Amino acid sequence: MAKVLIVDDEPHLRLLYETELRRAGFETMAAGNATQGLEFVETMKPDLVVLDIRMAGMDGIEALQRILERDNTIPVVLNTAFSSYRDNYLTWAADAYVTKSSDVTELVTTVEGLLKDRMATSG
Amino acid sequence: MDHENYLKMRNEIAVAGLEQSSSAILVIGPEGHIVLASDGAGVLFGLAREDLVGLEFEHYVMPLFGQSSWSDLLSCDSDSVHDLEIRHSRGDLIPVSANCQRYDARPLSVPSGSESGTEASAPHWIVHLEDARRREHQDEMRAARLAKLSLLNQVSDALHGSNLTLDQILQAVLICMTAGQGLRFNRAFLLLIDQEKQALQGEIAIGPSNADEASRIWMDLAEQPADLLDMMTTYDRSIKQTDIAVNEIVRHMTIPLSDSENLLVQAMAEGRCRRVTPDDDLPGVETIRFWLGCAEFAVAPLVTRQGPLGVILADNAISRAPVTDLELEFLLMFAYQSAAAIEKSRLQHELEQRLGELSKAHQKQKEDQESLMRMERLSVMGETSAIVAHELRNPLVAIGGFARTLMRSLEEGDPNREFARIITEEVGRMEGIIHDLLDFIRPRKQTRKMVRIDQLVAGTIGRFQGEIDEKELVLKYDLQAGDVEISCNPGEIQQVLQNFLINAMQMLSAGGEIIIRTFLLEGGVQIEVLDSGPGFAEDVADKLFSPFFSTKATGSGLGLTISAQIIKAHGGVPGAENRETGGAKFFFILPLPKPGGGS
Repeated sequence: MAKVLIVDDEPHLRLLYETELRRAGFETMAAGNATQGLEFVETMKPDLVVLDIRMAGMDGIEALQRILERDNTIPVVLNTAFSSYRDNYLTWAADAYVTKSSDVTELVTTVEGLLKDRMATSG
Repeated sequence: MDHENYLKMRNEIAVAGLEQSSSAILVIGPEGHIVLASDGAGVLFGLAREDLVGLEFEHYVMPLFGQSSWSDLLSCDSDSVHDLEIRHSRGDLIPVSANCQRYDARPLSVPSGSESGTEASAPHWIVHLEDARRREHQDEMRAARLAKLSLLNQVSDALHGSNLTLDQILQAVLICMTAGQGLRFNRAFLLLIDQEKQALQGEIAIGPSNADEASRIWMDLAEQPADLLDMMTTYDRSIKQTDIAVNEIVRHMTIPLSDSENLLVQAMAEGRCRRVTPDDDLPGVETIRFWLGCAEFAVAPLVTRQGPLGVILADNAISRAPVTDLELEFLLMFAYQSAAAIEKSRLQHELEQRLGELSKAHQKQKEDQESLMRMERLSVMGETSAIVAHELRNPLVAIGGFARTLMRSLEEGDPNREFARIITEEVGRMEGIIHDLLDFIRPRKQTRKMVRIDQLVAGTIGRFQGEIDEKELVLKYDLQAGDVEISCNPGEIQQVLQNFLINAMQMLSAGGEIIIRTFLLEGGVQIEVLDSGPGFAEDVADKLFSPFFSTKATGSGLGLTISAQIIKAHGGVPGAENRETGGAKFFFILPLPKPGGGS
């Protein structure tokens, strides 16, 4: 079962994403800030990271770079309220970009799609 | 010279002075005989003054019935005036007013030893007579003068006091020239300086064209109130019909200002009134006589402190009455009044115009300022809403997300499932508003490329075919832009098209029709989305593209604003109007790239 790491400083959103992704059949874990998120990437080796951009402390863009510095094969989905980050070239390195919405369908389908691709390429 | 001689000489001078006076003076001796008479008295009695001396005064004086008698006259005090009649040498009686002063004459003091030295003083009476008829005439003249002065006063009040237009003033001036209560000229013509033509140009005239019309007008006027202001307003109604002939004449009157010899130009330059009699031969006079058809006329200059304005011409072409000195005198005074009024009106007009310009400029400035303030407010509002929107977004995601989770976990038919659905839906709406808002606030990046506009339009609209079919709407294309390419950000133009199309779809129910049209204009291409819906109220037309304006129950009211922002960023023009056939037309014009302006 694929493991998805959710990094978001909003506990209710973490819970929502975990609930919906589990319902979709994924194993989930959640971190409340970027530093903890980086730790989990090291220790728990998730198959995919859902990363919030605007967080207290280290923000998602910096976290994205640090993740990719360690492992540039792990898919990262940026999930944020700021649609304007689409135009920020620092975010282009992410595999997908999902605008935060109460309808998490887009997030779930994006995660499913990326993981399917990964399974396919990794054999 | 000794004293006696001096006294004799003084006596002679006094007698000569009295005798040669043109006033009627008589000296009556103690016996009632005339001892001295003036030339004036001789005229009054129709005799040489020498012949009056020695006559018995009483025989020539008739006290009027019930009036003073001769003896009353002699006994009365010196200040009183008595009405009497005197007998002229022709035999007729002439009314006079008389004033009598008693004088007790003493004989000249002669060298002592003479007997006369003790003689008593002898009473004499010095009688001043005045021809009452002449006085009456003078009274009449005085009355006429007074009437005209009062008229001038009225004119002054009328012209300066009330707020008349220049045309009304010109007309009033002419009415005063001709009215019975006014200067009583038959006709009056007004010529004003035309700065453009550098000429004296006939402006307006008043007066009858023949004797019949004259008597009718004068009778009409006689029935009307004496008040000048009333008359000016009353006359105003008839002037158009009765004064056609004179106004025809006045239009032909043109005298170049360069013709300084001309009598009108000269009168104006010198600021003098002038009477032209049939015998006068002056430069330009024949032309004026030809225009007027009248040999005698009067000219009055219209001059102000600022300079000459024009002239008034007046004549008595109908009555053929000569122009009197008095009339001329008043014509001049009247002309001053008129000129001042005309000048005042012109200045006022100028002032009003300047005031108008000033207030327009002020209005513009105010609008600019308001628009600036509005933009500032919008910008502050934008920042604030961005912050608020972000802060609201996360909680909304949680609320809506769990409501969705909840909804899915509930059985079909469970009423709570419906409630959860409502939460989901409402949160969705709120998120939509926030999305629009953030989109609106976000500055747009310009990534332009050359795009075939018809292709872009067809591609964008085509995506909605499913929804259009679902709503049972009819979609028609009329794309005429052909292969024309424009430089644009395709994503943004797509968004505009989407906004317009969604807008149209929301206005329509099943069977409604949407037409997508493109065509070329000079230098641009116009893209239109037409619907067969109800259209919009005319008074909201200019608000359609303002932020947060929405006629729909749902929607943030930002769609059209964002569209307008995009269109303007492309150098284009957005617009909306109701179609004549019903429904609304939303359109925008995008500029075509300038030839040779690169790719």
